[in-house]
Amino acid sequence: MSEWRATTSLSRALVVSAVGVGAAVLFGEPVLVVLTAPLLLLGALGLVHRPTAAPRVLTRLDHVALHEGQGTLSRLSLHDGHDVEHVTRVAAASPYVALHPAGGQVGRLLGEGPADLELSPRRWGRRMLGEEKVGLHTRWAGYRWGPVAVGGQEMRVLPLTAPFDSRAEAPQPLGVVGVHRSRRLGSGSEFAGIRPFQAGDRLRRINWRVSLRSDALHVETTRAEEDSGVLLVVDALADHGRSGGAEGAASSLDLTVRAAAAIAEHHVRNGDRIALRVVGRGGEKIGYGSGKAHLRMLLGTLAGMRVGEPRGFDTEALQLGVTGGTVVVVLSPMLAESIGTATATLVRRGLPVLVIDTLPPDAVPAVTDGTDPVLADLAWRMRRIEREQVLGRLSALGCPVVAWRGPGTVDDVMRRLARRAQLPRVRVR
Amino acid sequence: MTRGFAAGQLVLRLLVLLGPLVALLATGLVGVVPAGWLVALVAVLSVAFAAMPDSPFGTAVMLVVLAWWGISLRDGLHPEAVLAAAGLVTAHVAAVLASYGPGSMPLDRGVVRLWAARGAAVLLAAPTVWVVAALLRDQPEAPGIWVAGLAAACAATLVAAVAFPLDRRS
Repeated sequence: MSEWRATTSLSRALVVSAVGVGAAVLFGEPVLVVLTAPLLLLGALGLVHRPTAAPRVLTRLDHVALHEGQGTLSRLSLHDGHDVEHVTRVAAASPYVALHPAGGQVGRLLGEGPADLELSPRRWGRRMLGEEKVGLHTRWAGYRWGPVAVGGQEMRVLPLTAPFDSRAEAPQPLGVVGVHRSRRLGSGSEFAGIRPFQAGDRLRRINWRVSLRSDALHVETTRAEEDSGVLLVVDALADHGRSGGAEGAASSLDLTVRAAAAIAEHHVRNGDRIALRVVGRGGEKIGYGSGKAHLRMLLGTLAGMRVGEPRGFDTEALQLGVTGGTVVVVLSPMLAESIGTATATLVRRGLPVLVIDTLPPDAVPAVTDGTDPVLADLAWRMRRIEREQVLGRLSALGCPVVAWRGPGTVDDVMRRLARRAQLPRVRVR
Repeated sequence: MTRGFAAGQLVLRLLVLLGPLVALLATGLVGVVPAGWLVALVAVLSVAFAAMPDSPFGTAVMLVVLAWWGISLRDGLHPEAVLAAAGLVTAHVAAVLASYGPGSMPLDRGVVRLWAARGAAVLLAAPTVWVVAALLRDQPEAPGIWVAGLAAACAATLVAAVAFPLDRRS
């Protein structure tokens, strides 16, 4: 920790006034006293207000979890600060963190209210918030404490979840209780048909109009309503394009993470079971679950995922561990061969798979310094052509590929998948 | 920490730059114009003081101004000395405000108001001392008056030090 030290202004006032008064006495020049009398007063008042206690400084954020674009207040609490007149706070610059006042610098008198800093993370991910330097001054600026570095707090900034309210059915509901119309008959509310009465049927299911016409008891059958399992596969092998934060341009990972968050929130609201598999350096996995706590865990994992290729990554043997009755949503810019291969394998197994293309249309490759721009442009064009071929092959296999356009993107595709799921099909094992 | 200066900080730096120059050139109103090299020296030191208000350049430039006033106007008690004192106090107060934080930190109005009031209050000492000195000027000088004044100042400092002891724990 720091300690109080005399300021340069105090030493300046004392030295100049001492020399002035001394010279005036020695040489009998009262004009020097006229010149230095105000500085003598300033120096004396600075000395008089010498501090007597060592202050303790703590900073605290108002919130422990934030979504990108939201803001919080960094509050300064000062203990044993009765000597302090002025507080200076200078926040460390951090990528994708907006500060208010601009520049994150605030200096004000302690008696005029708290010197609070407003912080707002502009992009999801791990962000360091509240790192700063604090300096204190006594009355008449005679003594200074600090500046002292105050540690910040790493926060997992959660992605934005755009309002998303799809009315499309899940293709293969295979659970216990939910809102999706199942293929099997059961006690639901969706009319399925009328059949002759069998032992065990409930009396309230009898359709009296048909029974009277046919002289035999008939009952109405309904479709069961079940929940669905949804697996979100997030491609975090690389980030393509430039991210401008919550209100700016979106990179491929921005689109991926925000789309995954929106889809997860929608399905959790519908009571479905959601699982997450991140294909990236961290290899994060979240098992099936539902409810708000599970959603928070999903969003936290998305915010904290590590980007890049994992060590020893085998592009041929990417196993996603998908079981039957699961809807697989692959969120990827589809530039990695392994993701395309794994997706095609799932489609061949007869699973309903939806690919959400998250490559921004204006994405450009990040190249290292010294790379020939013509060569880089050529390589990027070739990579995009290969990508188009992969997407074309997936479409030919019957796997819908849609570009993420925000809420409503998957509505139509999910409806078509649900209709297709009602048809008999051959599975390749 | 961002580069560049806030608008208020630029004004402060300008005041830090101009204060010592005004104090130096105030002798010109009496008819004693400083030499070009001296003006240049004070200007250079003032620029350094304005760029680094928390540095010893401020002390140096003020001592140069004091020396000029002591040497150029021997045995003179001109009212222009009050103007020079105002220049020095303005530069000092502006440097205090500028040294509260980095150059890009915007100024707080409350702090500026407080220090403007403080500067004006302590500046009143200059005309007061000048009036007292002018009144006592024609009086026969009591033997040991200067020594007695110095002793009184030392005694006041001693009393202040005893009354407000420094806590060693800090």
